[in-house]
Amino acid sequence: MKRTVPLLASFIIGLVMVGEFFIPHHQYRAMTNEFLEWGLILSAGAFLLGLVNLVQVNLPKVQRRDTDWQYKAIMLVALVVTLVIGFAGGTARQQPGYSYKWFFDYVFVPLNATMFALLAFYIASAAFRAFRARNLEATVLLSAAILVMIARVPIGESIPVVGDYLPQLMNWIMDVPNTAARRAIFIGAALGAIATGLRVILGLERSHLGGGES
Amino acid sequence: MMKTLFRTCILFMSLLSTAATAAPIDNLTIVPPKASSGLNLSLSWTFGEATTSGPEVLGLRLLRRLPSETEWTLVGEPLAPDTTATSDTVPETGTWAYKLVSVYTDTPEIPKPEALSEDASEEEQASFDAEAAQLRTAWVQTVIERSDALGDDSDMATGTTKASWLNTNPGHLLLLALIALVGGLMMVYTRRAQRGEEIYIRRIPGIDAIEEGIGRATEMGKPVLYVPGIDDLQDIQTIASMLILGQVSKTVAEYQSDLIVSCCIPIVREVADEVVKAGYFQAGHPDAYNASNIRFISSEQFAFCAGTNGIMLREKPATNIYFGRFFAESLILAETGFVNRSIQIAGTAEATQLPFFVAACDYTLIGEELFAVSAYLSKDPRLVSSLKASDIVKVLCVAALLLGTVLHSMGNTFLVDLFKISG
Repeated sequence: MKRTVPLLASFIIGLVMVGEFFIPHHQYRAMTNEFLEWGLILSAGAFLLGLVNLVQVNLPKVQRRDTDWQYKAIMLVALVVTLVIGFAGGTARQQPGYSYKWFFDYVFVPLNATMFALLAFYIASAAFRAFRARNLEATVLLSAAILVMIARVPIGESIPVVGDYLPQLMNWIMDVPNTAARRAIFIGAALGAIATGLRVILGLERSHLGGGES
Repeated sequence: MMKTLFRTCILFMSLLSTAATAAPIDNLTIVPPKASSGLNLSLSWTFGEATTSGPEVLGLRLLRRLPSETEWTLVGEPLAPDTTATSDTVPETGTWAYKLVSVYTDTPEIPKPEALSEDASEEEQASFDAEAAQLRTAWVQTVIERSDALGDDSDMATGTTKASWLNTNPGHLLLLALIALVGGLMMVYTRRAQRGEEIYIRRIPGIDAIEEGIGRATEMGKPVLYVPGIDDLQDIQTIASMLILGQVSKTVAEYQSDLIVSCCIPIVREVADEVVKAGYFQAGHPDAYNASNIRFISSEQFAFCAGTNGIMLREKPATNIYFGRFFAESLILAETGFVNRSIQIAGTAEATQLPFFVAACDYTLIGEELFAVSAYLSKDPRLVSSLKASDIVKVLCVAALLLGTVLHSMGNTFLVDLFKISG
């Protein structure tokens, strides 16, 4: 029973949601939209559980003074501050002049941008390791990467003789082999997704149901 | 002099003709579109002979009402003067009346009442809305009268909505047939597997490396870190990741190692918690399960990335497993794991992130291999048969691609049109 009900629910609702793509009737869409609303409500409810989990995991580590407990303390303080100023600001909290908006603009956004900016250095270090001409395929990859990188910067066009042809070559590399490979991955992934979805809907896969009994 | 005057007249008349008004709008036809939800109507019309007098037309506006009503309602956005078709979504099923009118360059904007203050009461808001509706109705009436006087409007036409229970576009029907084919083949191969027939799957080094990585973590006394991506539970890659997590947690429990799961979405954390618990129970080690190892970090992308990097640098997992949907944080995660000298196994169907995983991880599962992992690890004949079924359909897709390419090169677009999904 403990597994039968979730399996039955997965089967029925799975079929109904797959049917949405093939049944355009507005009453059917209204029903599937209702299911999606329920999913959103469940997800929103799970945020409370996530909040509890954050505190449950990190507060004991601060109390025990575990490794890097200071960062966890900062995280918990930031959590409380954001909650307080968020509730205090109400529905207008994202308007200029509110503390919530100030924190978002001057704390969160710069931190986010900093993390994103790190990507440039990570790409450089990953490329330095990956782009080694060990064999024929690696050499082709390295050559294509160099061509595309040079063609994308203004200095590429100023190279005598080949500079005029570099953008065309780059466009061909991006439009033909690159697009073909991406589409192949996409088609394969889509078929894999259909098979996985059917396995879950038909109840062949059950590990996602969890449960504490063997 | 006469020649000059004649040429000037011709030039003046040609200039006037470029500033011609729109033509009368004829043959307004309203039909429900194919495979309609029951709340859509498609409109089309033609133009009569253009006139050369009158003000210049800025665009067309569509008006709608129920046949029993008298007042027209303005719907949709302004249309370009040469538009000949549009569509409209109606609030309820039934028969609706439409009319097209022309709006001229000298027509004033729709008037609006004086703006309300931010702390206006509900009554003030209601009064504002009523006044705005009145002004709008009066404007519409003025536009109708003027367009009618100049002959640049259409006659009223009616159309009835029609809801379809099945989308009969060839592309949709083909997709339905494809899904049914996958399902049918799954059943066939499942029966065959249950009768003892061996189903061959090629070796995938990345999946074999999962157990090796868990063994390495056990030997080093360090945990295994599992990151199920940053997308929500409704994404198929996250679902596939949860299915794999079940197998991984069972293997980790058998090896008596530790498993840390770092989640970006709270509901994914709840499902992961249940899945890992089940894995430990199935392996016969329920007491080894530690709920505090299944952690929600943050629902913000880079905050989650920073938190997971912190876990890597503090707890130094021996093996990092990234299965799911990733975005820009993928390389930051993988590079931090590399610095930590962890064995890294990644799998995603996100084509834009695959190059980063290939560059930074020891093993990368590409696209469909991610969806094969749970079947590969479990070796359950029913699951393995689904891989066979999707492979058969893949072969058919490749055959259709090749045939479609040849036909399209010869000018025949039959297959291209057949696979088109519209609406």
